[in-house]
Amino acid sequence: MNCNSESSFTTQWCPGCGNFVTLECLKSALCNLQIEARDYVIASGIGQAAKLGFSLQCNLLAGLHGRALPLAMGLKMANHQLKVLAVSGDGCFYAEGGNHLLHTARRNLDVTMLASDNRVYGLTKGQASPTAAADFTTKIHPEGVGAQPLEPTLIALSAGATFVAKAFTGNPGELTTLIEKAIQHPGFALIDILSPCVSFNKVNTFAWFKKRIQTIDDNHDRNNLAAALQLAQFDPETLIPTGIYYQADKPVYGSNKKAMQGKPISFRTPSYKPERVRPLFAHYQS
Amino acid sequence: MFNFRNIVIAGAAGQGVDSAVALAGKVLLKAGFQLFITADYQSRVRGGHNFMRIRFSDQPLAAAVSSIDYLLALNEESLTRHLPDLTSEGLAFAMADDSINIIDQRVVNIPTKAGPKAAQDKTFTGIKLLTLLFAELGFSPEIFKETIERQFGRKLSTKLLQTNLDTISEITTFFAARASQPLSFTPQPDSQRMLVNGNESIALGMVAAGIGVYTAYPMTPSTSVLNVLADCGPQLGIAVEQVEDEIAALNAALGASYAGARAATGSSGAGICLMAEAIGMAGISEIPIVIFDAQRSSPATGMATRTEQADLLFVAHVSHGDFPRLIIAPANHTESFYLTAEAFNLADYWQIPVFILSDQAQASAESSVNEFDLAKITIDRGVIADEPQNCERLRRYEITESGISPRAFPQLSQWLISCDSHEHNEIGQLSDNIENRNRQHKKRMRKLKNLADTLPAPEIIGAPADNLLICWGSTVGPVLEAAEIFRAQGNKLAIAVFQYLYPLNRERIEKALAPFKNIYTIEGNFSGQLGKLLQMETTVRITSHIGKTDGRLFTVEDVLQSLTKLVGGKS
Repeated sequence: MNCNSESSFTTQWCPGCGNFVTLECLKSALCNLQIEARDYVIASGIGQAAKLGFSLQCNLLAGLHGRALPLAMGLKMANHQLKVLAVSGDGCFYAEGGNHLLHTARRNLDVTMLASDNRVYGLTKGQASPTAAADFTTKIHPEGVGAQPLEPTLIALSAGATFVAKAFTGNPGELTTLIEKAIQHPGFALIDILSPCVSFNKVNTFAWFKKRIQTIDDNHDRNNLAAALQLAQFDPETLIPTGIYYQADKPVYGSNKKAMQGKPISFRTPSYKPERVRPLFAHYQS
Repeated sequence: MFNFRNIVIAGAAGQGVDSAVALAGKVLLKAGFQLFITADYQSRVRGGHNFMRIRFSDQPLAAAVSSIDYLLALNEESLTRHLPDLTSEGLAFAMADDSINIIDQRVVNIPTKAGPKAAQDKTFTGIKLLTLLFAELGFSPEIFKETIERQFGRKLSTKLLQTNLDTISEITTFFAARASQPLSFTPQPDSQRMLVNGNESIALGMVAAGIGVYTAYPMTPSTSVLNVLADCGPQLGIAVEQVEDEIAALNAALGASYAGARAATGSSGAGICLMAEAIGMAGISEIPIVIFDAQRSSPATGMATRTEQADLLFVAHVSHGDFPRLIIAPANHTESFYLTAEAFNLADYWQIPVFILSDQAQASAESSVNEFDLAKITIDRGVIADEPQNCERLRRYEITESGISPRAFPQLSQWLISCDSHEHNEIGQLSDNIENRNRQHKKRMRKLKNLADTLPAPEIIGAPADNLLICWGSTVGPVLEAAEIFRAQGNKLAIAVFQYLYPLNRERIEKALAPFKNIYTIEGNFSGQLGKLLQMETTVRITSHIGKTDGRLFTVEDVLQSLTKLVGGKS
């Protein structure tokens, strides 16, 4: 199957939606890396961004709101050779699934997390997401959200992610490269993809982001956690750095588990016979 | 009627009640007795009052009794609490300083200074009392010493092990073999016989079934399944993880099942509450999954270390919407093994969530069972799609008469597989098309009907009779034993044992229950949940219900008392 094969699925995105760019960039990255369709799985959540997987000819596990990362965890436990991408939006990953982000990052699960971040809930028509600014107003928050926005890169860094990046759909070349690097990275890789919502966010528009985006300086030491944490504490009103904040080589989830070495469990399962339990009986006998 | 003796070992948390019971259990198992050991413990690390019952016999046992033949009291409170249950011929063993305030001829004291100098500490009380018990039973001290060496040889320092062995020698010499009441039954040794608790049976059943991934969050009384699988996982190729919450637990297990492993999760009722949404996802995405529910006292936190059978209606309906599921309730530890293994076949075949409903009483009760017969276990992965010529998208939700659509696993197959929590079309793309929705929904619900058709009627024991008593799970053991006594007293009573609680095979159940005038339920809950389910799904009508909500298991005496009250009867 050609890596560019499209599925018959008609997207439900608005014209001009950043998700179209992310889809194209992901396809390019998969093509460039020559990853066969059968060798990767997209685990997704709920929201407009989460529907991306339906537009690809791929293995897809389209799950519940907030739960893409636990699905990814199970996929890797059963078959650590699969490339796994967790694809969804800011509401799904950072609100409903916030707890899973912390724990999946600290396990350094080998997964590429593509988080489409538009600071608003598109599918349910314009509520604030956890990345919305404190003064962002919605029907539910006519007086402003009040709460401070989460900075996903800062959270991922402090939780133990080993690849943390930010991208902007207005810069597809950079996004494609970042996706390639994230897929190649062994460990938990987050790309927070700034992707303007053309229908429900009239504040953080394409132009708004364009004005603030700045590619990270070559002098930034991406292997230095302190420098990365510093970088992630930017003021979004003035400047938003894109590129790789941090990358580290650390043991991936399962590297300490004998069961997850060599041939994956899913491939070994046909050889699992009832007799495998017999050696355990002695412990219960006199 | 069983020949048996019942030992109670009681003390505060941290005093070593469970170590003493573990030792006694192994000694009695080695000697060839059948055992049923139950624990009554509090959710605390130190203090309080814990006790365990060790019932032994020459025949298999599946229930606890309240009356005590031998009481091993590790402190004074244990004497005052349990002496009322000691039979008139029974004996209580205690250290002299613990029984100073008690005047009772049934109490046998060990002088405070008895035993080697190195064994004067309170922590040796258990071993001293056990030595006395085995002397009373006429056992050679050697069998006790051998067991200690085997069980604790590697865990204890050489010095401490020797002190234990010396204690046994000295206390034995001090009292000599008593055997004041020789046993009326002789053991039937079988070196293959196993002493397992309910959770261990379930975990072993999972291993036999070929489990590859188990993800869970610790919750009493389900956690020991996690322990057993984590212990053997590295050797047997089982990836086990303690995840961040029960939501992650079930979602991760679903991911693993989609990827081709046999996967399961487990918890207690409150944890199953958190899994609710993902249970629905298993239903609509048709990803096979086994969910183990060790019920405990409810609702919410309830009483953490106490039992109940009040999750049935919850599990039968958990998650919104209509979708097929299966609930299996093993009645004893042998069934726990075989039915758990079968649960994986049924999950794979029907592509549904399958619940194994157990409870704290079963989870913590240890029972001697014949070594599990692996020839009885088959592994059936269900309907797998034929391989395509080229890599292409599987019609994962193909409409079929049976409702079952062939499946495949990513990377193990050329198929590209899309599984979806939305309503979806045959190739797994989300869709809200009316015709498609109706076709897919009907396809899933056909599985429920077709599955129900394969399920057996309940087993009926003791017919003919006018009165029928329905039971399931941990209640079955004490009910069957009490019913036998009740019948021996000249009463007529039949028992129906349900293993498959949902879906119900309406035709077979109605036929099996038709001959009875009055139908009663006995369950460890308030409302008679199986009775309610039967009244929802069949024409069966329940006359009344014997419930129990105090968090303690049914003993044989409890059931007998309830029967006499409910059905009348001569005694």
